[in-house]
Amino acid sequence: MSNNRSKLSNWILSKLLPDVYLEEFFGDLKEMYDHRLEVKGKTYARLMYWVDTVHLLFGFSSIRLFKTQNNNVIMIQNMFKMAIRSARKQKQFTILNLLGLSLGITACLFIGLYIHEESTYDTFHEKGDRIYRVNQPMIWNAWDEQFASTGPNVALALKEEAPEFEELTRLLSLGPQTLRMTNGADDFSLVKETKFFGAEENFFKVFSFKAIQGNLDNALKDPLSIVITQETAQRYFGYEEAVGKFIEVKEFNDEWRSYTVKAVIEDIPTKSHLQFDILVSFSSYPEMFKDSEWKWIWTGFSTYGLVQEGTDIEALTEKIQAVPPKYAPATTTRIFNQSYEEFTNGNPWTLYLQPLRDLYLSNEPDSHRFGPTGKPQPIKIFTAIGVLILILSSINFMNLSTARSGHRAKEIGVKKVLGSHRRSLIYQFIFESVLFVFVSTIVAFFTVWLTTDSFNELSNKSLDISQLIVDPVFIALTITFVLVLGILAGAYPAFYLSSFRPVQALKGGLSTAFKGKTLRNGLVIFQFTISIALVICTFFVQRQLNYASSLNLGFDRDNVLQIHNMEQLGSQLNVLKSKLSSNPTIEAIGTSYATPANVWDGERYKTKGPEPSIADMSNFRTEGEYLDLLGVEFIAGRNFDPTRVNDKYSVVLNERAVKALGWGTPDTWKENSPIGKMVVCAFDNEEELELIGIVKDFNYNTLKEDIEPLVIMHQENDKIWNYGLGRAFISLRLNSELINSSESLSSFLNEVESEVHNVDTETMFEYSFMDQDFEATFREEKRMGKVLNLFSMMMMVIACLGLFGLATFSAEQRLKELCIRKVLGAKVSNLVITFSSEFTILVGVSILIAIPVSYFLVDSWLNGFAFHTPIQAWVFVLATALTMVLAVLTIGYQSFANAKKNPATVLKNT
Amino acid sequence: MKDKGLGEFEELVLLAVCILEGTAYGVSVKNEVEKHSGRSILLGAIHITLYRLQDKGYLKSEMGGNTEKRGDRRKRLFSITPTGLKQLKASQDVRQKMWQLIPQLNAGQ
Repeated sequence: MSNNRSKLSNWILSKLLPDVYLEEFFGDLKEMYDHRLEVKGKTYARLMYWVDTVHLLFGFSSIRLFKTQNNNVIMIQNMFKMAIRSARKQKQFTILNLLGLSLGITACLFIGLYIHEESTYDTFHEKGDRIYRVNQPMIWNAWDEQFASTGPNVALALKEEAPEFEELTRLLSLGPQTLRMTNGADDFSLVKETKFFGAEENFFKVFSFKAIQGNLDNALKDPLSIVITQETAQRYFGYEEAVGKFIEVKEFNDEWRSYTVKAVIEDIPTKSHLQFDILVSFSSYPEMFKDSEWKWIWTGFSTYGLVQEGTDIEALTEKIQAVPPKYAPATTTRIFNQSYEEFTNGNPWTLYLQPLRDLYLSNEPDSHRFGPTGKPQPIKIFTAIGVLILILSSINFMNLSTARSGHRAKEIGVKKVLGSHRRSLIYQFIFESVLFVFVSTIVAFFTVWLTTDSFNELSNKSLDISQLIVDPVFIALTITFVLVLGILAGAYPAFYLSSFRPVQALKGGLSTAFKGKTLRNGLVIFQFTISIALVICTFFVQRQLNYASSLNLGFDRDNVLQIHNMEQLGSQLNVLKSKLSSNPTIEAIGTSYATPANVWDGERYKTKGPEPSIADMSNFRTEGEYLDLLGVEFIAGRNFDPTRVNDKYSVVLNERAVKALGWGTPDTWKENSPIGKMVVCAFDNEEELELIGIVKDFNYNTLKEDIEPLVIMHQENDKIWNYGLGRAFISLRLNSELINSSESLSSFLNEVESEVHNVDTETMFEYSFMDQDFEATFREEKRMGKVLNLFSMMMMVIACLGLFGLATFSAEQRLKELCIRKVLGAKVSNLVITFSSEFTILVGVSILIAIPVSYFLVDSWLNGFAFHTPIQAWVFVLATALTMVLAVLTIGYQSFANAKKNPATVLKNT
Repeated sequence: MKDKGLGEFEELVLLAVCILEGTAYGVSVKNEVEKHSGRSILLGAIHITLYRLQDKGYLKSEMGGNTEKRGDRRKRLFSITPTGLKQLKASQDVRQKMWQLIPQLNAGQ
């Protein structure tokens, strides 16, 4: 136990002490640790282990240091002594300096950890530098965007055409799937597995995952083979050997199929863009790969290639561009009855090779089907903030050091008179500054170490400093950082202070000390400009997030309960629906194959006629009652009518879809009504659907995107194959008066659950609320918002610390002046105003600069959102007022304390 | 550099080594000194003193006696040298002589 815990401290000892001592010291430390563990507990024992370590370190490395007669060492000792003396003499400055710097470095460390975490995904694959994912354009509606998915035949074609690929492997997300876990003879429980992928035989030849049980070589070769992670194996089989056991998966036709576990692999590292629990062999689904004609547009797969060593990627990329024009036409003519040129509409069907290390954190594509993707934008923002915070705290440090110079002018004068070189004075100041940075860094390390858990909770990351801290590269970086920042921050005071002329400095250093005032004021303005701008930006980020969650969607999202997995009921769906509709708590009920916030399906449609206009549009299958439940507004035509048999072959469009098909806008409908026209599916048998109604545009996806054209088809339309993602939902609008407490809600949910199980015992009861689904689309942004809050608060604190320090300094300088004013009859209030105005003006100037800067930033950020909050003046007013109040309080405290002093004592003493 | 004298703490440590006879090493010396003097002492202080005394030639040491308890590491066992013992005696004598010269204490006898 202590061996693990004491690894770091032992490592430090072993690096810093001669080897002869180590064995006995480690032995002694362990013996005492174990004793203390028994007597006083773990925390005490661990703490004392460190205390003893540090003590031994000082004791045994200093023996040689202090005994030395070496001039340089004595010099450093002396510098050290001087630094400590001057730090003690001006405690307030020392504390302000350390606090500001530590805060800055802490923020920087967190940001650094975060960036390190985000930029080191997928580094564990042995052949990682040769793995590429094949991306293609988003062929559905945005040919200019990269898309991480391809059709399954892309890999087959590449295998034919490009021998540069050592392996090509495909992955298909098959989740969510319902699995059955056997608890006893006839006792089953149902489990929903979402990270359930189909993989090819050679998957493990490309990616390096380690087997714990079984052999990975042929694990995915045979049909009905399955490879699971350790965590999954434990869920199903406990600690028993899992290889050779069976897992049952529910098929689309409601039958159970058994898969044999062929291998168990180590849990997937968090830092992997692929996150799966279960892999099934492709050969389990032979029917899926039988028809190959349309396999260029079934964009459910990701294609990964392992290239031969020494392959020229650029040349390979160029070469494979010939593949789509050669292979894709078979698909486009068969499915869309379009030539390749017609289908692509002149856009190049580019195949991109994206290296593995870029997959997680790249601008494009912005997501894929198999795990997390990082967002490069927050990384950029946080890097900027980290650098700014560091600059601000360094500025503070410089400001305070130069301001202090008045106090040290005499010391420098005396030193110079006694024959000190300017160079050794510069060394002294730089040494002090490096020492400050060093101490702050240590403090920051401890702060980070202690607060990592809460930060992780806030940002939903799993940052960990303890691994980094023993990494030699990281240590080297830290030392470089300490030296660079120390020298940079100390340079100005060092050169400035050492330039004092001894006679002047001794006679009265005050006038010379004020020489750096313009620079200091400039730095204060700079600091506050940045802080205020950040505060304003933070305000707008928060407002945008709130705005998005309160935005009118075009329908009422509250009190809508959505029951999932209804596709498993098959024809029983309507039985359940009619049973539920008698429940008094339910105001409206409807079924659909997707629910708003998550409508992802799309197809190609066209108008009828010799020269059709073609549009790629989202589609959504439901029935009339569901549209009533949502409460979407019909601006022309009518809703699906259950009494009209033919309605199931008709279609409802949203405004934008009508426009996309070239049927004009509401103004033109009066003359040329689109109702009754035919919408033609540009696929399969080219079914024609009669347009019966047009709904007002409503938000059916995340609010980050604009509303796209939408085709609402009837779910019972049996002429069209498309069943969305193969899922179905029953949605209920609840009576909010009857469901008014968590008890009534949970009893209602129990009622619904038993109804579901009355109809089919093998269907899992899962539900969600629509308003929460919409909230979830902003979860990441909300988290970022909180982190941003934290950092902007830190920035403000640092700026105020700096101001406080300068105000203190200035107060000391002007103490005599203020006292004389007081003697001459000035009131305390006058004095406070006289004194405060100097700094308030600086803050005022910062506000004037910050407002346009932040307006520009906010404006360009908000423009990235389809729906954004207006930029209101009062936010600027509020943010600046807040800053002003903070600044005035900071200065006011000092000025008031000074103004209250008794002039007699002050004037007498100096 | 002959007669280097003995500091107060050094004397305590030297005494503890004598008491422990053959089983004196870092932790045991620490415990012994703590037990008699009643103060709490850091391990580093004991080690520094032990090594200083060894440099002065009052102690000698060898490695040995590894136990399970210490993660199978050996201890450095210290024992007193004749010079050390002489020095201890000498400082005891100095004190004894001076004690006898204190009038307040002698008056009562």
